[in-house]
Amino acid sequence: MTMDELLNEVVPQEDLERFEKKYHHELELDGEVTTETKFEYAFCLVRSRYTNDIRKGIMILEELARTHPDGRRDYIYYLAFGNARIKEYTSGLKYCRAFLDIESNDQVRSLEQYIQKQSDLEVAKGMAVAGGAALVLGGILGLGIAMARK
Amino acid sequence: MADRAIKLLVIGESGVGKSSLIRRFVENKFDDNHDVTIGMDFKSKVMNVDGIDYKVALWDTAGAERFRSLTPSFYRKALGAILVYDITNRDSLVKLEAWLAELDSYSDNPNIAIIVVGNKIDQERLVDREEGRKFARKHRALFIETSAKCDQFVSDVFKDIVEKIVSSEYFNNGNGSAGLDIASDRNLEESASTCYC
Repeated sequence: MTMDELLNEVVPQEDLERFEKKYHHELELDGEVTTETKFEYAFCLVRSRYTNDIRKGIMILEELARTHPDGRRDYIYYLAFGNARIKEYTSGLKYCRAFLDIESNDQVRSLEQYIQKQSDLEVAKGMAVAGGAALVLGGILGLGIAMARK
Repeated sequence: MADRAIKLLVIGESGVGKSSLIRRFVENKFDDNHDVTIGMDFKSKVMNVDGIDYKVALWDTAGAERFRSLTPSFYRKALGAILVYDITNRDSLVKLEAWLAELDSYSDNPNIAIIVVGNKIDQERLVDREEGRKFARKHRALFIETSAKCDQFVSDVFKDIVEKIVSSEYFNNGNGSAGLDIASDRNLEESASTCYC
């Protein structure tokens, strides 16, 4: 419930645009973007309502996590966060666990538990769909057999 | 059974106990380890004031410097702000001036209720109670000292500020736009996950 609200909080459009502009401005002016600006932009992207934005944010954060070890805990948390928002639960869990291996953190633990629960629900839903399909298939086969007998 | 929602911000320097106060209040737990908050976190609790239930949404912000430029949007629609300092660290009280300036420039609510909280009274104090009180008075804020660790006066923080908010003449007028609307932005491409039935 609480985690739903945190994940559903969408970045205001003007924030996203402001940091997007800053990002592109640096890119054009200097041919490269500072770590700070990259993070600001990615932090907005992963909170966008659009999946494509979130994926773009994830790409930037992945790069930052590789190249800037000092900020790694922030990047890994928001990688888990972004993946949770686009229902990439396996990746989300991977990042939560990578974080918790290094540092105990209540906030990350809550996110991990939330993703695990959503992932379990998804599996249960998948089984229900498969079960339903099996029933339908069984019905059709049964009908076919009945018809063939006539 | 529409919840009446109240958004509160918790701000202040890193390590003063913002998350601990929230955790004590919402879950009645305390952890001696300092889990550094990343970006922002959210917890909520239903509080009853004069027979009416309010859903208090608590936004916990990272005290860390790198998130400063990123948090303005979290000040929006807040009805109250909880400014926390550590009574064993004078600098954390001094820095509240900067946090207040931040609040002034980003908040869209000119009547935002403020409470100043001096945390860690279970430890040896370096900041007089009177100093904190003076600071609060200067900024027309409520004031209280707490220990999240020993659960002293923690619930009073939230009770005092929520009572101030709901008794304010602005609350009922402004509430339609300022308070009730926590869930309006929740259609995160919901169409992708329509029911399978």
